[in-house]
Amino acid sequence: MLARLDDVTKLYGRNEGLRDFTIAFPKGEVVGVLGLNGSGKSTMLKLLAGLLFPTSGRVTVFDGPPRTNRARIGYLGENDALYAWMMPKDAERFMAGLYDDFDSIRYRELLDVLEVPRRKTKAMSKGERGRLRLAMAMARDVKLYLLDEPLAGIDLLSREKILTSLVREWHTDETIFLSTHEVAEAESLFDRVLFLRQGRLALDANAEALRAEGKSVVATFREVLS
Amino acid sequence: MTNRDDWLIDMDAGPIFVQIAETVRRFLARGDLAAGEKLPSARELAQRLSVNPNTVIHAYSELESQGVIETKRGLGTFIREDAPVETMQRDLLKSAAMHYAKEAERLGVSATEAIAVLQEVLDAGKT
Repeated sequence: MLARLDDVTKLYGRNEGLRDFTIAFPKGEVVGVLGLNGSGKSTMLKLLAGLLFPTSGRVTVFDGPPRTNRARIGYLGENDALYAWMMPKDAERFMAGLYDDFDSIRYRELLDVLEVPRRKTKAMSKGERGRLRLAMAMARDVKLYLLDEPLAGIDLLSREKILTSLVREWHTDETIFLSTHEVAEAESLFDRVLFLRQGRLALDANAEALRAEGKSVVATFREVLS
Repeated sequence: MTNRDDWLIDMDAGPIFVQIAETVRRFLARGDLAAGEKLPSARELAQRLSVNPNTVIHAYSELESQGVIETKRGLGTFIREDAPVETMQRDLLKSAAMHYAKEAERLGVSATEAIAVLQEVLDAGKT
């Protein structure tokens, strides 16, 4: 198994982030993490990234706690936080300094594929910054990518570019977790979909198996979460 | 080979791998693909259709087991020279005929009448 959560509960003060989560992930899947706002998607990804600790239960990634394996996990957070003065080439130096596995050649290819303009991030549109951030995250050579809402709040063409580049970059031995509200646009990428509701796992399904029953992931989303 | 729009992948129309395999069979039956022709690699097609590469690999292995395509090591995936094109044409025609027959039944039209109308349409198309 690449990663697992065993009876994980995460509480924020009295508010629940995640409740009684037990699930395992083999390597080589594209996993869609789906749910309404506040359903626990970000909490789940942060737990896997080692950015949060469970209140109870255990999170395992690569046979150990995520914290000890942080160098082997690619994480793209939902905050659009980039230094305003940074150009894509500065971002490259920044990432290469932080991570030994950062692949500059792959990064430059991604900048081209994603059509990221070569200017300061403060002069970029939100969609352009989103594309730059994805290039930074996906240029790392790791086996686990956690992408929290990479499609949120950006324009249609940027979203399409991001989805296409994910298809392009993904290798069958890598696992990608992708949380998104753009279920219709992203569903054809998923091997597996998790539906979260109020911090609990409402459904864990194979996307093609859902469609074999005549229901798209979108239709299932409506049915399970409404 | 044929552009992306012809693939018509529909999330509400069953598994994507089935739709990809059906599209390849339809291309062959209609002559948009020919025996011996090379198919895009799974990765290329996945990118073009924006689907998971595993899904295309699944579709290709289905087509391979049906004797439609073959993988030549290091060269790629090809339509087999002996791909059962006539069977595929017949299957497609049959499924179109079934839609027609169903509609005739819903309309309460007799079989003789339905055949006569079909003949009329075929004749009209022969100009």
